[in-house]
Amino acid sequence: MTPPEQPVEAGSRERRVYSVGDLLRGLRALVEDSVGRVWVAGETSNLYAAQAGHHYFTLKDGDGQIRCALFRNDARRLPFELENGLELLLLAEPSIYEVRGELQLIVREVEPRGEGALQLAFEQLRRRLEAEGLFDESLKRPLPTHPRRIGLVTSPGAAALRDVIQVSGRRWPSTPLLLSPTRVQGDGAELEIAAALRRVVEQPEVDVVLVVRGGGSLEDLWCFNTEPVVRAIAGSPVPIVSGVGHETDFSLADLAADHRAPTPSAAAMLALPDREALRDGLSAAQQRLLSAARGTLAGRAERLERGLAALRVLAPSARLHAQQGRLRAARRALWRAVETDRGTRRLRVQRAVERLSARRPSTDAFRAREAAARRALSSAIARNLEGRGARLATLAARLDSLSPLAVLGRGYAVARRSDTGRIIEGPEDIEAGESLVVRVARAHVEAKAISVDPVDDSTT
Amino acid sequence: MAARKAKSADSGAPDTSALPFEEAIEQLEHVVDQLEDGALDLEASLVAFERGVALSRRCSEQLDAAERRIEVLVEAGGETLVRPLQGEGDPD
Repeated sequence: MTPPEQPVEAGSRERRVYSVGDLLRGLRALVEDSVGRVWVAGETSNLYAAQAGHHYFTLKDGDGQIRCALFRNDARRLPFELENGLELLLLAEPSIYEVRGELQLIVREVEPRGEGALQLAFEQLRRRLEAEGLFDESLKRPLPTHPRRIGLVTSPGAAALRDVIQVSGRRWPSTPLLLSPTRVQGDGAELEIAAALRRVVEQPEVDVVLVVRGGGSLEDLWCFNTEPVVRAIAGSPVPIVSGVGHETDFSLADLAADHRAPTPSAAAMLALPDREALRDGLSAAQQRLLSAARGTLAGRAERLERGLAALRVLAPSARLHAQQGRLRAARRALWRAVETDRGTRRLRVQRAVERLSARRPSTDAFRAREAAARRALSSAIARNLEGRGARLATLAARLDSLSPLAVLGRGYAVARRSDTGRIIEGPEDIEAGESLVVRVARAHVEAKAISVDPVDDSTT
Repeated sequence: MAARKAKSADSGAPDTSALPFEEAIEQLEHVVDQLEDGALDLEASLVAFERGVALSRRCSEQLDAAERRIEVLVEAGGETLVRPLQGEGDPD
């Protein structure tokens, strides 16, 4: 359409009349050509997201409002969701929506006002996933103190992997590590990370997984702030430790993980025990073991020693002395008794003979009677002696059984120093190289001491 | 695994040579507690002490084990395989 060149003069019979469509078309071209693209700031409201992916909303401020249209292809590039109440900066092309005769802005780019687009997206996603309960404290699981196998989700070429390998080599080197390699930044990295995680948790014996990457910008770390990674972590059957970025970086992966570490090295330290510290603990336990065993045995040795001391009073060496003395005394008394008795008998026989002689009866009868008497006496004495002998034999037998000699017969030996005859009882009584005499049951053995070891009753 | 669970002659307790560190140190603590309590008779004390020594040796073994095993998952022909990790990522 060509715009009217001249205004219609009042009163003229010639008018240029446009249709609504033509007018709107013309106005639209006018607007589009003269304004082009502008940045506009305002607050969103009346948001309507169509099924086809186009977004329609009102941008307003205190002075007015204007309808906006964000078409699908441009909307797709937004990292965050459009909501009502957002303060935005829009790069837009004013136009006229002919069908409704409305002024509208065709939005090409969107920036959040005040904070970055990624930050906004982060907040939106965090709110949404938190509402689902994916970050709940109650879901956090404890880590195994001695993991059997550690899964690693990280880039194979990165420093993060080297750090983990180094730290684990210091803490507990024999724990096997299993790397599930993945990109850790760039488009689509989030899907790789999620897949790598799902793969490694299925492997046998993996009972903890470290998801780590080194420091970087928010854009670099962005894949750890996405839904696929969060869901993969939350859905893991084994505990996850996340160590993404620097100390101050907090990612949604960190919120979803069972434990968060400030760095990849710290993640390895959380997952593994420190063997040096445990070594000290083991030494302490070993010391206690030795002390306890020594204590037990020392207590018992003491009791045994007391018992042995009591026994020594009854022991063969002391008994030998005592028994020897008793035996000698008994024997002397016994022979004395026998002697005296014989003496008494002799005396009586003599006196009887003397009396008989003094009475001088018929010598034949006397001699016969004397002979008979003598015979009776002899047999009496003989019987008496036999009896005594029998008694002596019995006594001797009884003494023998008590005698130290019988003790020797049971295998005990008595050792005495050759020089002094002092009975040897301990290492203080004899030295290596000295001579001693050993009395065994049926022999005296001359011997020389080769070595003298005290008998220590506290070992068994 | 059944073959490794040989019983020691005296105590009838299971073999210590395959115990993981955590269990071995726990059992060692238990043995030490028993001995310190002094409630065991002499025979049992000595058996307990011997077991304590075996457990302590097992713990040391585990602490000193330095052999590393670092592997990587590799996708090949639709399957997931485990391979030793070469080169990169092995300092010390």
